[in-house]
Amino acid sequence: MLRFIIQRLIAAAVTIWITTIAVTLLIHAVPGDPVRIMYAKFQSTPEQIEAIRTSLGLDQPIHLQYLSYLGRLFQGDLGRSIVGDQPVLDVLLTRFPPTLALASASLVIAIVIGMSLGFFAAYRRGTASDAIAMVTAIVGVSMPHFWLGLLLLFFFSLQLQWLPVAGNDWRSLILPALTLGLANAAVLARLTRSAMIDIFDQDFVRTANAKGLPKSLVLYRHALRSGLVPIVSMMGLQFAYMMGGAIVVENVFAWNGVGRLAIEAVFARDYPLIQGFILFFASVVVIVSVIIDVLYAVLDPRIRYG
Amino acid sequence: MASEAEVRSFGSPRRAAARPLVGFLAGLLRSPSGCLGLVIVGLLIVAAAAAPLIAPYDPLRMGAGPRLQPPSLAYLMGTDDFGRDVFSRIVYGARLTLQIGVIAVGISLTVGLLLGLVAGYGSRWVERILMRLVDVLFSFTEIVIALACLAIFGIGLTNAMIAIGIASIPFYARVTHSVVLVEKNKPYFEAAVSAGAGHLRLIFLHLLPNVVPTLIVVGTLGVSTAVLAAAGLSFLGLGAQPPQPEWGFMLSSSRDLISRAPWMMIFPGLAIAVTVLGFNLLGDGIRELLDPRQRQR
Repeated sequence: MLRFIIQRLIAAAVTIWITTIAVTLLIHAVPGDPVRIMYAKFQSTPEQIEAIRTSLGLDQPIHLQYLSYLGRLFQGDLGRSIVGDQPVLDVLLTRFPPTLALASASLVIAIVIGMSLGFFAAYRRGTASDAIAMVTAIVGVSMPHFWLGLLLLFFFSLQLQWLPVAGNDWRSLILPALTLGLANAAVLARLTRSAMIDIFDQDFVRTANAKGLPKSLVLYRHALRSGLVPIVSMMGLQFAYMMGGAIVVENVFAWNGVGRLAIEAVFARDYPLIQGFILFFASVVVIVSVIIDVLYAVLDPRIRYG
Repeated sequence: MASEAEVRSFGSPRRAAARPLVGFLAGLLRSPSGCLGLVIVGLLIVAAAAAPLIAPYDPLRMGAGPRLQPPSLAYLMGTDDFGRDVFSRIVYGARLTLQIGVIAVGISLTVGLLLGLVAGYGSRWVERILMRLVDVLFSFTEIVIALACLAIFGIGLTNAMIAIGIASIPFYARVTHSVVLVEKNKPYFEAAVSAGAGHLRLIFLHLLPNVVPTLIVVGTLGVSTAVLAAAGLSFLGLGAQPPQPEWGFMLSSSRDLISRAPWMMIFPGLAIAVTVLGFNLLGDGIRELLDPRQRQR
């Protein structure tokens, strides 16, 4: 178990390290002069441009730039944003809690609705209920997040006036969380159904039934526990999708998280902020997937004792 | 998008590829989901090809009708805030949507296929390095890779298509890699190796033809992801620019008018959802056809 965790931690560290190289190279991949592009709207003189280039360290050879970037990174310094001239890390940390709240609330909605729907469909396999559940799921998978969001906004905020159109309190969280949660519930329902069907077909479930164990015990203790293993293994990817989806959904509902920040940064060509965002986003996804992998190992004894 | 487990469970893709195309289509028409998918995708292609014949108005002409007209016989899906016919814009938008799907999937399929072949066929070290890189890209998620590409190239629909193409490369590389690993252990391949076939011959004459059928299926499902992603980027203002009749962009310009003109929001969204559903159903149908185990479920 410990070996497994250490292996996963090393892999995570390698991923984050490669990300630091990628974000350093990003600014050099920009066709033309990145400093001129960033400061295009400020009407800077050539002298000012050169001064900025020096202050960003862009006049140095690339390997030195990378080393100094890494050095500053270890001190928690991700540079300063072009728009607003604030420390990038501070900006990201202020905008992260709303995104975390949105992603967590959506994950809960996705798990509760998606897994119940998938479990139910697998249990009633081949019946009309199964067909209805799966048609609902494929329609849900095909539905664009942003359209679902606008539809919910139209009905619940504008027609019924039950919920606010935008804002940053818990009432404003309901619609974005529902949008992101429902979209991911559809994916999870399809996954759960196919995982549970594989389990229901297995000998140990038949044996448990043949022994005369109560149906609920067979379903929840035997089948669901084994069925959870492949589902949890996909949860890391699910969380990554959820974070990616949050970028779009935050923009629909003017939810002030990192996703909205990222789009603002791309529009403003605020490269220090974009670099910081990519590194931050990848780190969050990597850390969460390590946690999920450990959870997966706890659920599956083959990994725990392997 | 298809998960790797789903992709691996296609069984032998060659069996289906060997069947004549007509038989394949007939099989697809027998499954309800494949049939519906085929109809939707067919309609999309017809709409794109015959747009000038189907659309009653010029999609870009402002004042084709009064502004913000609700749907009527003259304006099937109403008009927008510039008096443009929403139905005509949606019909012409099918062209952009198909273009996005083909270009984005074309980029990711070609590069992903090459990377996957090299990783699967190459030495242990080449494989480890390439697949590790693919893993890293996976933790970025597609939208973040696409945003990074747009930050580099600048915004616009063409750049968005390229960005989405690049963002999906890791997925196709992974799928190709897993298929190559399976094919490499099959007797025909081992026979070719022991017969002394060269590297190029092994890769292009033996591996490639057996990888391509699987990738066609994955690519069909990939079109839906690409269409969704492009519409998302245009919705955010990073893709299509005015006055392009792109569905995601149309949705985004409907935002401020939702309560006054809900049709401006409902129809473009419906167009995206139905198109994506069509490609998803078609992909599901093809998968069922290739994997009899799934059909029994």
